[in-house]
Amino acid sequence: MLALTLQIVLNGLTTGLVYVLMALGFTLIFGIMRVVNFAHGELYMVGAFAVTVLSGKLSWPYVPAAVCSVILVGVLGSLLERFLFRRVIGNEFNCMILALAVSICLQSLGLIIFGPDEIGAPRPVTGVFHFGSGVIPADRVFVGVMAILLLVAFYFFLNKTHFGLMMRAVAQDPEVAALHGIRPKRVHTAAFAIGSLLAGAAGALMAPIYTVFPYMGELPMMKAFIVVVLGGLGSLSGAVVGGLLLGIVESGFATMLGSTAAALVAFAVVVATITIRPEGLMGRRS
Amino acid sequence: MRFMSLVTGTAIALAGLSSAFAQDTLKMGVIGPMTGPGAQWGLAAAGGVQIAAKEVNDKGGLKVGDKTYRIEVVPYDEQYKASVAISAMQRLVNQDGIKFVFGPVSSAGTLAVMDISRDTKTIGITGAYSSKALDPSNPYMFRVYSVASDFAEPMVKWLKKNVPTATRVAIVNPNDETGWDSDKLLTELYKKYGYMVVAKELYERSVRDYIPILTKILAEKPDLLDVGTAPPASAGLIVRQARELGYKGHIVKIGGSGPRQIIEAAGKDAAEGVINYIPADEQNPAYQRLAADFKTMTGNEMNPLLVNWYDGAYILMAAIQAAGTVTDTDKVRQAFAKALPRKSVLGGTIELGGKNLYGIDNAFLTTNYIGVIKHGDVVAVGTAD
Repeated sequence: MLALTLQIVLNGLTTGLVYVLMALGFTLIFGIMRVVNFAHGELYMVGAFAVTVLSGKLSWPYVPAAVCSVILVGVLGSLLERFLFRRVIGNEFNCMILALAVSICLQSLGLIIFGPDEIGAPRPVTGVFHFGSGVIPADRVFVGVMAILLLVAFYFFLNKTHFGLMMRAVAQDPEVAALHGIRPKRVHTAAFAIGSLLAGAAGALMAPIYTVFPYMGELPMMKAFIVVVLGGLGSLSGAVVGGLLLGIVESGFATMLGSTAAALVAFAVVVATITIRPEGLMGRRS
Repeated sequence: MRFMSLVTGTAIALAGLSSAFAQDTLKMGVIGPMTGPGAQWGLAAAGGVQIAAKEVNDKGGLKVGDKTYRIEVVPYDEQYKASVAISAMQRLVNQDGIKFVFGPVSSAGTLAVMDISRDTKTIGITGAYSSKALDPSNPYMFRVYSVASDFAEPMVKWLKKNVPTATRVAIVNPNDETGWDSDKLLTELYKKYGYMVVAKELYERSVRDYIPILTKILAEKPDLLDVGTAPPASAGLIVRQARELGYKGHIVKIGGSGPRQIIEAAGKDAAEGVINYIPADEQNPAYQRLAADFKTMTGNEMNPLLVNWYDGAYILMAAIQAAGTVTDTDKVRQAFAKALPRKSVLGGTIELGGKNLYGIDNAFLTTNYIGVIKHGDVVAVGTAD
């Protein structure tokens, strides 16, 4: 039983860290721009396809392929903000509809370019690690370590850099921030790019672990949504707590009662959170 | 004025002449998952029918009675969802006016459209694995290939003989009509042949992380893991993740075929030794010709099930010709008994049967092979008949 519990926790932590990466980008964009970005899953898909093409078809080493993929998704995000979302910022409903439209367009583009087949990306790491009686595939450890590094980098960027301070200022009050000489539009573009970059990073990291196909973003998008509702929409610490919690709870229920029960529990937790604590575990009451 | 009358008259005469020589069109629908998990099966259905239709059209069309028809194929995506399959069937029947439909490919979709097929007398040629897909109450529904209930027992017998060390079986299937049916069938068969079924799991089709359910399964220490009717890419991920968790036993797939996609998703090393049901021998020259045609047409690798849909299209066309009508589906369904048996493009014989299992002779009984993945290739090692 101890071995099974250890395995459940290890599985949950690795899955949870990817949820955190997805949710961080999603909640960052909402926190600063009030945009519920339903195209976030498709940015994950673009990251996964980019790394698959670069490391698979063009035979690049994985790390440069992943770095280029992440930058590509970041640039795509900044372009989406600059040419599409900027026009509707301030109107949450229009932003949501626009995000849905972008999501469908990116999915369809993926389908046209790559077809519906699920393809595999070359794996940068193989083998397994043994933690006591638990076993964990080396590629998942790699993903977990990379996710932690990204989280730490993101934390320092947001809390220890001037631009991070500007972002937090715009998130709190864009008008007062503008009075202090901060240009909110510039911050919006950067926030959208960084949020997209995090989704692209999750996609590039997960591509070698799962298969890559145009609709692969739907499930991670749903998980990101659950995580931010659980942790608190717009709360970065909530995204971390929510992601890890969801990963471990899902792992436990999927192992003990099956994947259907795990999905049911995830949504039951969302319903309970919205009912009992609408602002989420770490969110602020507005 | 006289010149204008001459031009107009000539135009009318030419129009009349061209319509006299114009071919009538016979539309055939296809309903299958063209996107998402299982897309390989839907694309195989559409591809097989389209290749057969193109061949017939290139030879001048399908002669039925004293008329010759150009075949037009109308495919719709069912997304492996019953509700979408119903919409597709209603559109084919009511809007496109189609009387002959290949599919749905999924069991849930097929069971959902059974009433529409029967009430509108639309011939359906399904790819559903569920035993409920063929029923005497709907004589218009046929099945294009042998399914698990036809080949599972010969495969389990083959395993008993060729993998004698395995005794403890774990079974994984999707949590839907197809999976439930497969789970029931495989459990009964493994028990019948003296195996101990130590674990059974059903998973949601959207899931990609199988490590939690595999953790539970592997705790029961199976030495034979059957991935049943999991779509090929999902099966590949299950294979890879099971190997990563340290599973060293045998892996078998007695269900929907797709060894190439298993290799793609699992990787060559993890897929080594996986035993698959395969509907066709890939070394056969006719198979390779169809694979090349499909690659040219779609740019994708061919799923072996395409062979069955290709053969199925020719069987339907033979039945229509034998019935001498494209509108009276009662005559066409009765004419399947005249169209079969016939040779498959790969050389085996396809027969009409199924009464002993389903109460109605509406199953195309095809030759089934057992394939083993070796060094990234699929090698046929026997037949499962």
